[in-house]
Amino acid sequence: MISDQAKKEIDFWITKYPEGRQSSAVMQALTIVQNENGGSLTGDLMREIADHLQMPAISVQEVATFYENYNHKPVAKHTIRFCHNISCMLNGSDDLISYLEKKLQVKTGEISKDGLVSVKKVECLGACVGGPMCQIGDQYYEHLTPSKLDNILDDLK
Amino acid sequence: MNEVCFKNLDKENPASFATYESTGGYKVWRKVLNGEISPEDILAELKASGLRGRGGAGFPTGLKWSFMPRNQEGQKYVVCNSDEGEPGTCHDRDILRYNPHSVIEGMAIAGYVMNASVGYNYIRGEFMEPYYRFEEALKDAYDAGLLGKDIQGGSVSFDLYTHLGAGAYICGEETALLESLEGKKGQPRFKPPFPANVGLYGKPTTINNTETFANVPDILSRGGKWFADLGVENSGGTKCFSVTGNVKKPANFEVPMGTPFAKLLELAGGLKEGRTLKAVIPGGSSTPLLTADTAMKMTMDYDSIANAGSMLGAGSVIIMDDSTCMVKTLTRLAHFYYDESCGQCTPCREGTGWLYRVLQRILDGNGKNEDLDLLLSVQGKIIGNTICALGDAAATPVESFIRHFRPEFEYYIKHGKSMVEVNV
Amino acid sequence: MSEIEFEIDGKLVTANPGDSIISIADREGIDVPRFCYHKKLSVAANCRMCLVDIEGSPKAQPACSTPVANGMKIHTRNDKAKSAQKAVMEFLLINHPLDCPICDQGGECELQDVAMEYGTDVSKFNLGKRIVADKGIGALIQTDMTRCIHCTRCVRFGAEVAGIVEMGGTGRGEDVKIEPFLTEGIQSELSGNMIDVCPVGALTSKPFRYEARTWQMSAVETIARHDLVGSNIYTQTYRGKVKRVVARDNELVNETWISDRDRFSYEGLNHESRALHPKIKKNNKWQEASWEAALDFAVNGLKKNAQNANQLGVLASKNSTLEEYYLMQKLARSFGSENIDYRLDKADLSIRNKMLSSITLAEMESVDHALIVNSYLRLEQPMINHRIRKATLNGASVNTINNKKFDFNYRTDLEVLCSPQKTLLMLQSILKSLHNKTKTTAPKNLSKIKIDDSQNKIADDLIAAEKPVIILGEHVNSNISSSDITDVISEIAALANAKIANLSLSGNSLSAEKVGFKPSIKGQNAASMLSENTKAFLLMDIDLNYDFINSKLATDTFNKDDVFVVSLNSFEDEAALINLDVLLPMAGLYESSGTHINFDGVAQSFSASVKGPGDSKPGWKIIKVLADLLELKGFDYTDSSQVADDALSIAVSEDNEPIEKNIKDSDDSQIAIHWQYSPYAIDGVTRRAKALQETQIGKMNDAFISVATAKELQLTEGDLYHGVPVSINETIAEGCVFVHTYQSRKG
Ligand SMILES: Cc1cc2nc3c(=O)[nH]c(=O)nc-3n(C[C@H](O)[C@H](O)[C@H](O)COP(=O)(O)O)c2cc1C
Ligand code: SF4
Ligand code: FES
Repeated sequence: MISDQAKKEIDFWITKYPEGRQSSAVMQALTIVQNENGGSLTGDLMREIADHLQMPAISVQEVATFYENYNHKPVAKHTIRFCHNISCMLNGSDDLISYLEKKLQVKTGEISKDGLVSVKKVECLGACVGGPMCQIGDQYYEHLTPSKLDNILDDLK
Repeated sequence: MNEVCFKNLDKENPASFATYESTGGYKVWRKVLNGEISPEDILAELKASGLRGRGGAGFPTGLKWSFMPRNQEGQKYVVCNSDEGEPGTCHDRDILRYNPHSVIEGMAIAGYVMNASVGYNYIRGEFMEPYYRFEEALKDAYDAGLLGKDIQGGSVSFDLYTHLGAGAYICGEETALLESLEGKKGQPRFKPPFPANVGLYGKPTTINNTETFANVPDILSRGGKWFADLGVENSGGTKCFSVTGNVKKPANFEVPMGTPFAKLLELAGGLKEGRTLKAVIPGGSSTPLLTADTAMKMTMDYDSIANAGSMLGAGSVIIMDDSTCMVKTLTRLAHFYYDESCGQCTPCREGTGWLYRVLQRILDGNGKNEDLDLLLSVQGKIIGNTICALGDAAATPVESFIRHFRPEFEYYIKHGKSMVEVNV
Repeated sequence: MSEIEFEIDGKLVTANPGDSIISIADREGIDVPRFCYHKKLSVAANCRMCLVDIEGSPKAQPACSTPVANGMKIHTRNDKAKSAQKAVMEFLLINHPLDCPICDQGGECELQDVAMEYGTDVSKFNLGKRIVADKGIGALIQTDMTRCIHCTRCVRFGAEVAGIVEMGGTGRGEDVKIEPFLTEGIQSELSGNMIDVCPVGALTSKPFRYEARTWQMSAVETIARHDLVGSNIYTQTYRGKVKRVVARDNELVNETWISDRDRFSYEGLNHESRALHPKIKKNNKWQEASWEAALDFAVNGLKKNAQNANQLGVLASKNSTLEEYYLMQKLARSFGSENIDYRLDKADLSIRNKMLSSITLAEMESVDHALIVNSYLRLEQPMINHRIRKATLNGASVNTINNKKFDFNYRTDLEVLCSPQKTLLMLQSILKSLHNKTKTTAPKNLSKIKIDDSQNKIADDLIAAEKPVIILGEHVNSNISSSDITDVISEIAALANAKIANLSLSGNSLSAEKVGFKPSIKGQNAASMLSENTKAFLLMDIDLNYDFINSKLATDTFNKDDVFVVSLNSFEDEAALINLDVLLPMAGLYESSGTHINFDGVAQSFSASVKGPGDSKPGWKIIKVLADLLELKGFDYTDSSQVADDALSIAVSEDNEPIEKNIKDSDDSQIAIHWQYSPYAIDGVTRRAKALQETQIGKMNDAFISVATAKELQLTEGDLYHGVPVSINETIAEGCVFVHTYQSRKG
């Protein structure tokens, strides 16, 4: 179920688009609902969004599966999205990803046993001059080193 | 350095409304609101400035704006492309973070010139900090009475909204971006029709890159000629370059067009100790790779890079030194395009996976002798046959990497490992 | 429009600006390969198969999305074009299973055809192929998505033609999957067209699976007869059976599409209840008989029971052929009886009740306003609804007056809920409003009638429209005031300058009307035949439990000892065995030649696609022999086309006077009941088509009642009303029950 608060937020986004174009808000609606649902989406939620935005459910599913940032399976509390594209790679992202995997004892794509973290290799996040870098939540962490990563992990609860 | 887009970078509060105004910001827009400057004047200045689109293709901005049917009835739109996803590129992010008002003013002016009263800034979904900064700036601009309907009681209206992406490189392609803005999958549209005729919600629309818009206010306040003279022939003004890869101090630099590549390399701290330059991608991962020699001879402007055999693209200079394994690097890029293909048209959908898999096979030590020719043949079948330029972008690195470094690929296939001894 | 001139493969041709290269190539007979392009769908340009070379353009350009321009020089088969096309073909094949020998599309696959010409023999692709897990999408369409080439024709069909977006492409890149939302199947009443538009074997007909290989079948041109459109189709037959039905293009009739009903109803032909042998009931025991014996028995029985000619009654359903109607009425009239009727489900059998349509199918899509009265148009007449939908896409507005809110696949402006009892009054108010607005004097009988806002709006919209149409649907049939309703509608149309589409005459009713398959003043109508002194009946294609508005009255009558009933039918069921005396097995749908008169008044004749099973014989032949045996003159036909010629040339006398004999619904409470069969239960063969019955539409089974009415009837949600579960909500007008079901009226 989508909360009233989330619906309010979605409705705010709807106001940005011309009348009758409320489906423009679908991406943001999915983001809002996903955040509310602990980081992932379900069929029921997509259906609810479809109804709220008066669009076909399949169109919501299309959007929800096209974009990288939507999840369709439960996720860890924190997903470390590690860029492994060219600029970061040239600056050692692969080694850092291995470091993380070892330290957390998870493979990329898996969730740690305590459900707290997972590591995901992602494509360029647009912070190439800060590589190697990763994103956790809304936050970018740049110029990473093993010790910086240690500190970041310590702060994750 | 840092004369236009980044000119406030070392100020205390670079993104603030006050800082922006203190360096001449919103001067042009206020002139517009006071009716002191006509769309024709603006177009003339823009054309004189030699400003070309900074999003990658380098299309002259003044010309693009003049394509809009400004007198056609009905809604028209201005859209800013802040999807910045080209590997190696991250200067639009800094413009949004440190100079958001220049984008707002640039877009508003564009709206006025093209008679479009609504604008959207499409910001990639991961750029939350830039998004908050931009939203804050937007609020300040509204509070200052510079945006809205019938602004300051006059006849000019401009409403500006942000839209957030959700992770898809293809949404940087302008028609995919429009689809995404409409709440659909980001699958590019075929052209014609062009967005200037049938764009957002089917209405005439002009899309420009963040940096393109950010240049506009200064061009108009300081003159098209001033801007043109900053650069060189055919490449007016300054350009923000993201210099990344094997350099000591990767960073963004706004330098005049025509700056020698060598100078840029130096600005970024040069290569690491004991390393030599191996290759350079000058314009982002979609532009052809250049060898060290060629790169060292070029200057950073459209013509010189084109003569060197590549493209200025998005101004994303990726430096590779002699520790770089070309097979691994190319495979990584191939993976990127494979991952980001929207899946709409056949050659890109089927071809990018094919390229990636063959490269990965080589990287895994299972390459076959005929694989290089296969790669060249497959990329050749993608190029030119797709709906949008992502297909070409996926093919380009394959061709240029193999052309310049074929022996390294052959070595890998033969020995199952890299020719480059990596000892960082 | 100014014409532009250009060259295509060396040929100088002209076209209008905006025309695509591919449409001109098609016109000129130049074969450009394509997968995503479909002339009735929007252009997607995603398959890239149609790439052609345009001189001066560095890249090959898609012929489907590139408009022609003056002076263009286009090459569709030079080296550059061919190499681009071959490149695309190679990409398409790398992930395609190439399992043609076991694929139902084999032999009619566009990919297979094009690959023969453009493919290379050996693919250089030697990595594993993509496998796409399949999930069922319903009873009609078999999916094998591993074969999908992502042309998105099915997706566009849904969005653009079916009007419900059901299919989509989820995921991205190589992983794009064409599928409906999660586990929901496909619901559209036009869904089968996705099978036709799919160029490969990803979407195939589920009932057809494993039935035959396409090249083994013969295709027969014929006409679908479940609705007023008479869609043009091919029946594809193998070893004397119809194995599949596909659409046949006829721009004026069904364009390129057919309804699921028309596509899948043939399955009912193979139902176990087919009547295979003549049967007679002697001493209350059924026995099989030879044709000779059965006909003798029948003729004797008829003669004996109808010693007065007017003791014979002749009844038929809405689905007979023109020829059958013609011969049957001729038999009755030659025998001396005027007791003839096909209007078994009508409550008001007054002869005045015959409003004519004044618009054609094709014109329907260019109306700018439609007022729909008493119709769930989408399910009743899917192809006509499709035309209206097209009109709405061009800006037409739609208002409705129905006893329930229906799910239209386009936007409706105003949906007025109105129970059957109040429909006449409602229309009279609209008429009065029109009189007021056009400053014409309203007839006196309207003087006391009040007008509300919605009625004014309906009138306004009709007046404001340039090309309005008023559509009258099937629901009017169960209204005891239906002739008054049609009268008022005629007056409204005249005042508003609106065209009329009378869709209450469905199936092949127009053929029945054409030959006068109705009683004259001297005869009795269906209702009075059943309640009065008719002792011998000849029934044609009648399902006792389903077809009569009052089926209890019908079966009680037929069951009487002194009533002798001969039935020509393709099926036999329990009701038939209980109530009838002679069963004559009749060839069914597609099993005999005949004629259907469609909405446009076009008589579309067809020949038999296959022979009827067992001893069954075409209806017209059975009637002819019966007539001969009854020693009636004028039945020397040797070919059904002779019958059709006669049928089409007779003019029915118009001097009939009304027989004002309205019967009320069997339910004698004050609450009106409207019983509508699911579109897949409207006739015997459709009802027996298995896959159709398994769809959501086929399974619909609801008695809709408003809260107030439910209270009055003391019903709660889920209770049974005449055997149908009650659904209480506010989408239904007060004072009536709308039953939408596959179940028979008899429950
Ligand atoms: C695959 C692809 C990705 C692109 N990504 C971006 C991008 O992230 N940002 C951008 O400004 N332009 C991008 N472009 C270019 C845009 O399509 C478009 O040309 C540009 O936004 C126009 O703005 P400009 O004229 O100011 O350069 C991309 C193009 C392609 C084909
Ligand atoms: S080239 Fe790739 S990204 Fe562009 S439309 Fe085709 S499939 Fe999509
Ligand atoms: S038919 Fe033109 S691209 Fe598919």
